[in-house]
Amino acid sequence: MELSESVQRGLQALADASSFDQSSFQALIDVSHRSLLSSHGDPAVLDHPELKQIDQILLKQVHTAATTFILEAVKQNADKSTISSSLEELTFSAEKIEIFYSIYQVHFNSPAHFLTPFLSFSSSIGRRPAQINDISWRLQYHMKNGQVDKVNEPFYSISLNSEKDGCSEDMNFTCTMEQLQDLVGKLKDAAKSVEKASQM
Amino acid sequence: MLLVLSEEHKEHLAFLPKVDTKVVGEFGRITMEFLRRGTSPKIYEGAAKKLCVPVEIVQHGVEGLMFLMLESSKHMLSEVDFLDSVLVLGFDEELNQILLQLYLQHHNQIRSILSHLPSSLPAYHNLEWRLDIQLASRLCRQQVIPMLTMRLLLTRGCDSHSDYSSRVLQADPSTLLYLISTLEAALAAIKTSHGRRILRNIK
Repeated sequence: MELSESVQRGLQALADASSFDQSSFQALIDVSHRSLLSSHGDPAVLDHPELKQIDQILLKQVHTAATTFILEAVKQNADKSTISSSLEELTFSAEKIEIFYSIYQVHFNSPAHFLTPFLSFSSSIGRRPAQINDISWRLQYHMKNGQVDKVNEPFYSISLNSEKDGCSEDMNFTCTMEQLQDLVGKLKDAAKSVEKASQM
Repeated sequence: MLLVLSEEHKEHLAFLPKVDTKVVGEFGRITMEFLRRGTSPKIYEGAAKKLCVPVEIVQHGVEGLMFLMLESSKHMLSEVDFLDSVLVLGFDEELNQILLQLYLQHHNQIRSILSHLPSSLPAYHNLEWRLDIQLASRLCRQQVIPMLTMRLLLTRGCDSHSDYSSRVLQADPSTLLYLISTLEAALAAIKTSHGRRILRNIK
């Protein structure tokens, strides 16, 4: 795994037994994972009793290095041997490597790609079009309006709810029965092609 | 149902029996052009000169005729109702028949022009879709995420009907299946006995 110099230095400080014993090491790794997985930055994230004795500046450098390392491992879907050999190169002891990997595994269990928080975590960052969340419909009967009498046609009002970057948006439109059949037909074609693709 | 014509309206239409039947036909043509494309003062002036009457009389005559056609088409009057409504004007049989023919020829067109007037919500036009599989992103490598990207085209509603607004949306396969099942339930709603009863009885 490729890591920048500052990250490497931060990790080496973390490996140093005189700065971080096993219990403070475990606390820091735990805290680093949690700060990546929570949706809001928490200024109090480093307020852990095990970490109180450590110099605050060193703590921040080490926290940054650890979170960057975790992100890199997640990005490349690194397996245990890759992570272990990277940490070994940075002078981590075997015990610390074990501690790191056991915490990492709880949160980022690979290679089951589809079902892990790993997937939703990394996919939710970044740019993408609005995602469809929900659809609701109303069936109405148009009898007359100000300009024309005796219209007498049924129609549907559809409301499509989508979300982009946390903002939810409603798209409202009307359609006749034929248009709705057209829409459903196209969606079914799409579903069929998804099914065919999944069988390849 | 019968149309109730105001006194002013009757006055405007009173011009029609005073002219030749061919002229009435001409007025009918001007009326339809008015509805389709609007009118200009030149047309009225030209007609007024030929008939040696003031321009306002011609204008009122055409407008009165147009209003008669509009109201009859709006309420979808039957032949009998139309003739009964026109009876009150006291025209002779030939003129009544000309007016009736004008109505019968054009009422469908007039109704379709009228139906474009009310402001409407955006309406569905088309849905384009494509299936993509995301393999990697800046933050994450070695992914296999199927993603359905769709472009929904909607008409703009009360603005020009030839313009469409388009929205790009994405959905994952499970959302897609949910959309399909919800919309199929919507289609089934129109075929229930309740739906059929309403559609049958409100005409």
